[in-house]
Amino acid sequence: MANDREVLREIWDGRVPVCFQLDSSEVNGLQAPDPYYLMVPRLSYFPLVTDKVRRHFQRYIHPDKHDAEMWVDFNGQPLKWHYPIGVLFDLHIPEISLPWCLTIHFDKFPEAELLHCSSREAVESYFMSCIKEADVLKHRSQVVSNMQKKDHNQLWLGLQNDKFDQFWAVNRKLMEVGSDETFKYIPFRLYQGDEPFIQRLVKPVTEEGQRKTLFQFLQEIYAENASKVKVTTHGVEPPSDTPLQWMSEHLSYPDNFLHLCVAF
Amino acid sequence: MAASTTPVDGQFWRSTLILRLQNRNKSESYAFKDLIAFHNRLFESSNALRAENLQLSVQNEKLRLEHSASTDKASSDNSGNGSSKSPNRNEKVQVLEQKLLSLQEELTEMHRRKGENAQQLVDLNLKLQEKERQLQSKEASFSECQAENSSLKRDIQDYQTNIKKLENLNQIIRDEYQANQLAFAALEEKLRKTQDENRLLVERLVRYKSKDADKMNEDNENFLSGGSHNTTSSLLHTIDGLFSRKKQAKVQKELEDAAKESRAVSPESTFGDRGDLGANPFFASNVPSKAISKFEAHDQEINAVKWSSLERLVATGGADRKVKLWDISKGGQHESKGVLVGSNAAVMSIDFDSTGSLILGASNDFATRVWTVSDHRLRVISSEHSGNLRTFLCVEMGEREKRARGGFISRRFPLRAAPAGAATRCWSQLSPPPAAAGSSWVCRRRQSYVLSSVR
Repeated sequence: MANDREVLREIWDGRVPVCFQLDSSEVNGLQAPDPYYLMVPRLSYFPLVTDKVRRHFQRYIHPDKHDAEMWVDFNGQPLKWHYPIGVLFDLHIPEISLPWCLTIHFDKFPEAELLHCSSREAVESYFMSCIKEADVLKHRSQVVSNMQKKDHNQLWLGLQNDKFDQFWAVNRKLMEVGSDETFKYIPFRLYQGDEPFIQRLVKPVTEEGQRKTLFQFLQEIYAENASKVKVTTHGVEPPSDTPLQWMSEHLSYPDNFLHLCVAF
Repeated sequence: MAASTTPVDGQFWRSTLILRLQNRNKSESYAFKDLIAFHNRLFESSNALRAENLQLSVQNEKLRLEHSASTDKASSDNSGNGSSKSPNRNEKVQVLEQKLLSLQEELTEMHRRKGENAQQLVDLNLKLQEKERQLQSKEASFSECQAENSSLKRDIQDYQTNIKKLENLNQIIRDEYQANQLAFAALEEKLRKTQDENRLLVERLVRYKSKDADKMNEDNENFLSGGSHNTTSSLLHTIDGLFSRKKQAKVQKELEDAAKESRAVSPESTFGDRGDLGANPFFASNVPSKAISKFEAHDQEINAVKWSSLERLVATGGADRKVKLWDISKGGQHESKGVLVGSNAAVMSIDFDSTGSLILGASNDFATRVWTVSDHRLRVISSEHSGNLRTFLCVEMGEREKRARGGFISRRFPLRAAPAGAATRCWSQLSPPPAAAGSSWVCRRRQSYVLSSVR
């Protein structure tokens, strides 16, 4: 069970400085708006933190576009709102110089690359479905389905309002292990550049019953290329002898998935 | 749990990870945290100030307008009234009037609301009453149901006691029945015993009776012999003599019997008596040595002969394609009864049906024909055999379903051993039966076949 509070707290407190700028072609007026700086939690999602940004920039765009959906890009690459901010940051880490400068758009929504996010409810339903998927992998869905609606709400509100204790009071149950001290499978997603992420069934223990380390896990996925792989999560490179089960318990994002960014 | 169960060397990766996380937080967030917080605060305050500025400028504009209006008024009033306080009072009055107006509006609003509330109260009261009425009716029905329930329960009890009573009664009857059964068995046993005793007694009686009779006979005889020899010495002699005579008679009879038997069975006596053939059972049948009648039936060889089952009628089938009927009822004479023509090749086999009114001939032209015996007319031709008809092993005609069945069998093989292609074939529905022979077409036998054999 995840009770290494020190690590959890460090992870939870991870924030990135972001500088939002309005796309210059969308400015409607003489004066370009000031950039808006914000510390955003790594574990959160963009639609949850950009309310103020939207309000700030709304004044400077064409009135017809006031109700249009806002989207964000970095270096001309649209950012997917349904990835946690930390994952997006880690994916672009080589190109980033702090603070992270992002461009805000209200026009020309890239339909081919982004999903529409109509409201916070869309984020919530996506978040909850991720949690359920992860629990199916970890406990054959026994924990989530036994939870009440109010527990689900508490998870969501804990994330939304950045309340560590509120969130972990419920998430602790999701990280509980069964009689064999491990999960059935480890819920993870491996990101590698622009390619779609890799997600496979991986058990947290080897066939001999030993706990897998991160390196063994990478060997399982990449075979002999494992030693060349550089894994980043939460902005750090976990040591290759870190047990996979421990990583899943402590380094998972709030959606209960391990989001690992891979580079060669 | 994971942290607590990790071994000591596991702490190394953990501490590395924590260090890296802390470094990350230091470089990514702590460096910018204050700056951005400060920026946000500045942003907020500048926004607030901007909003305040806007409000103030609007207010300023308004005041300026008012001021210009008041100065205009003052200048005009100055000319008329001369008092400088009048605009001020005027303003006050206006404000008060406005207040009054708004208060009045509020009052009317309140009145209206009150009316609405009263209306609502009435409605609710009505509803309450209705509900109470419903409640009462429900209670009434409830009590009714309870009453019904209790009465039903009572009924159930009654029935249960009834059932118990009946069961008791049943038990008693069964007991009685059992007792009766036992009594009956005992009585039966007694009856049997008595009968046995009776039989024994009867036997004994019979024995005694026979003994008595024997004794009586002996007495009689004794009495008779005693009549001829009166002396006691001669009595002994007579008894002796009686026995010897009896024995003599018996021996003589046995000897006679033996002599008779030996005479009847002795082989010498039979061989010695050859003339008496008729009396001897061993020579009861003999082989006919002489034909009663002899006649030329056909121009060519004769293939088939059949007796009619009823009349003294003979049918012959020959290689000259004809079937002929002969009456041989008059001893040594023969008389042609008719010639049945129609075959296109030699007739190989013939048969009568069970009533003797139809005759069936199988011919080498692959066909089988049926004629009526009475008028010699051809009734049916069936040419279904594809082989060469040689002999009817057996021909039986007529059947329940008014059809004849036929089959090939090879010359000497039984029906079942026939080759597959020449298996029994069914002639379905030979024809509608001839009117004259309609009744005789039906046979009493259960199964009937027309069988012919083919090479």
